[in-house]
Amino acid sequence: MKMMNGNEAVARGAFEAGVKVASGFPGTPSTEVMDYTQQRYPDIYCEWSTNEKVGLEVAIGASFAGYRSLAIMKTVGLHVAADALGGAAGSQINGGIVLVVGDDVGRIAGDDYNDVRHYGNMFNIPVLEPSDSQEAKDLMVKAFEISEEYSTPVILKITSVICKTTSRVVIDENYTYEAKCRVKYPVSFSKVIMTTMMMNAKGSEHPKLVKCFHDFPAQMKRLAEDSNNLPINKLELKGKKIGVITAGTPYYYVKEVLPEASILKLGLVMPLPEKMIRELAQHVETLYVIEDGHDIMEKNIKDLGISVIGKALFPKFPEMMRFTPDIIEEKLVPGAPQRTPMEGVPFRLPVSCAGCSHLFIAHILKKHKIKAAADVTCGLIGCFPHMESYQLQKCMGSSIALAHGYNVAKDHKEKFVAMIGDGGFWATGINGLMNLIFNDSQSTTIIVDNSCLAMTGGQHVASSEFGFNYKPENKLEIAKVCEAVGVKDIVTVDAYEFEGLEKAILNAVNAPTNSVVIVKKPCVTRFKLPKSTPYFIVQDKCTQCRKCINIGCLAIESKKGKDGKVEIVINEDLCVGCGLCSTACKFDAIKLS
Amino acid sequence: MEDTGKNIIIAGVGGQGILLFSNLLSKYYMKLGYELKISDVIGLGQRGGGVESHFRYSKNPVLSPFIKSGDVDYLLSFEQTETLRYLHCLKADGVVFSSTFELSTSSVNTRLEKDMSESKTEIIKKSGKQTFIVDPDKNKSPEFDISKMMNIVMLGFYAEFRGYSHDEMLQIVKESVPEKFIAGNMKAYEKGVVIARAELA
Repeated sequence: MKMMNGNEAVARGAFEAGVKVASGFPGTPSTEVMDYTQQRYPDIYCEWSTNEKVGLEVAIGASFAGYRSLAIMKTVGLHVAADALGGAAGSQINGGIVLVVGDDVGRIAGDDYNDVRHYGNMFNIPVLEPSDSQEAKDLMVKAFEISEEYSTPVILKITSVICKTTSRVVIDENYTYEAKCRVKYPVSFSKVIMTTMMMNAKGSEHPKLVKCFHDFPAQMKRLAEDSNNLPINKLELKGKKIGVITAGTPYYYVKEVLPEASILKLGLVMPLPEKMIRELAQHVETLYVIEDGHDIMEKNIKDLGISVIGKALFPKFPEMMRFTPDIIEEKLVPGAPQRTPMEGVPFRLPVSCAGCSHLFIAHILKKHKIKAAADVTCGLIGCFPHMESYQLQKCMGSSIALAHGYNVAKDHKEKFVAMIGDGGFWATGINGLMNLIFNDSQSTTIIVDNSCLAMTGGQHVASSEFGFNYKPENKLEIAKVCEAVGVKDIVTVDAYEFEGLEKAILNAVNAPTNSVVIVKKPCVTRFKLPKSTPYFIVQDKCTQCRKCINIGCLAIESKKGKDGKVEIVINEDLCVGCGLCSTACKFDAIKLS
Repeated sequence: MEDTGKNIIIAGVGGQGILLFSNLLSKYYMKLGYELKISDVIGLGQRGGGVESHFRYSKNPVLSPFIKSGDVDYLLSFEQTETLRYLHCLKADGVVFSSTFELSTSSVNTRLEKDMSESKTEIIKKSGKQTFIVDPDKNKSPEFDISKMMNIVMLGFYAEFRGYSHDEMLQIVKESVPEKFIAGNMKAYEKGVVIARAELA
């Protein structure tokens, strides 16, 4: 027995399933699946790939070699890898292949809410969803069995709640690892080839044709039929009044709030066990579906001609937030007490860590009114209304192409700048850079080299000086790559050398050529940079102009002093002594302690 | 009377060691043979964001990872704005343990919204719940940095309040924190016990 959170349990499940290769890309909430796998199970080859698409392709290759493989990403990352998944779906599978995909239900990490199960519908592949850590481990093993038995990639959907909830897990202490290997098919092709075979060569016995034939629709049909007898789908018939079809952690909310309800709890959420659903529907007066995320099970059940109540009863849900026991109680338990949060408690916009290099860049862009696109990086905090440093921000790796698009539309008469992190640059941003070069663009790109993927907790990237498979001779240099693809003007500056950084950015923006400014400073949090003497504000000199506050540093606060008057103060416990605020102060009020 | 279980919310801001706190507490309850579910909600950003941990221990299997509003027995908060965020979740006889530490929010700092006019400590005191307030400024010590170790101070306070074995709890702390922090953590824990004894006297 062990206490494990969902991420740990999934990693353990991968180990017990005999996985040989794990690849993927960090993304909250599922990043730790890889971290735990790499730390605890050295038998498994682990890599953080350059992006999710590459990660999934690595796993597909390993699977074809016969070994069980695991791809780890968040749903937003699966959007990047979707083409690879489409290629693997419905193809011949040798070693089982499972995608562990994190859904940020509740938008806890701030994702626009995405639901990975859409990919199950789109590519016609199975999706499993655990309700606690024990199931996270067990379903992981089951997912590999399904993958091999039905020749399909399988998605294990885990959510921000599952990933970060710790509960007991029974593990086999005597388990000895063995990399499972199965080679069933000599070839594996995308559906384009199989469909051609199916339409034209069905019934043919020529071995060359038979080799390419793969009846993928039949596999999923068989799984849908078998799902009615899978122990991971549980029908708990109790009261006749309320029936609930549910999956994931909402199963436990329902059990707690509606102890008398009859419940169909699905471990395999796609395809659906039609017979079990009909049995429950006949048993109860009213049938509800309670699912985190989008109304996907609901629609699929309705497609079977069975009426259920879901979205109509929970109008704010499921798209934006996660279910809670309170929400279910409010709607389905008459006379449940209402408890409302206290009004007027100030909310917390995300703030950059004190001393973050992003603050320097955001401040300079704002100071000189330079229009710029941010990327998916800690620097996107500069888009929030307490900072207002950027005008455009979309997906990971996008800012270089976004800025280029803006600049060509404006005939290069103004220069829209791109800011991108090292993670975003290697992930897909590098494509944007190559693109703007050969399309003769004059854009400027600021690449923030903080030596890691800071936002997800500091995982390594291609230019980091550490990593799972790190060797100094294989480290990629951002400046060299920029030079190699043809960037005309490249400078590298230390973020804390404020004047040099300001000059470098202004020079790049004003030059009539394409340029890259690489801003170096290791992530203050990941690398626990030593603190310098903290700064303080001389209250007699402070005019409360709030220039320093608008930098967006966590250490600068506006607070009521002992006498009740508002003061701008620097929190000496948080200040790292980077000095950015003192450069912003026009009244010489910010001094070293 | 046998303790069949409790629901606890541990709250604060990123960097205050909320996850360490719930981890230490879980080890204690594990030893006592309780079933546990601990659910952490961590927002965007590495530092300074709100963090809440729903901690449930019980003699029976724990179902929901989240505690329903109104079912919370104890609210342990290391930041007082965060205390206010969860006050409504407490049972009628629920107990609040709150630090007076306050990290002003970026929305207030940049005047996107107004701060509450009344003192937050006073609002907490007037909540009608049994309330214990711990002021880090009044409990500074040269032996440990209370700005970093309020979690352990609170652990000592809570253990004393519940009448738990300090030896066992300290053993768990020793086994769980890096060697170089053990001495400081011990001092912080003892401080919490001392404050609790004074409050409970």
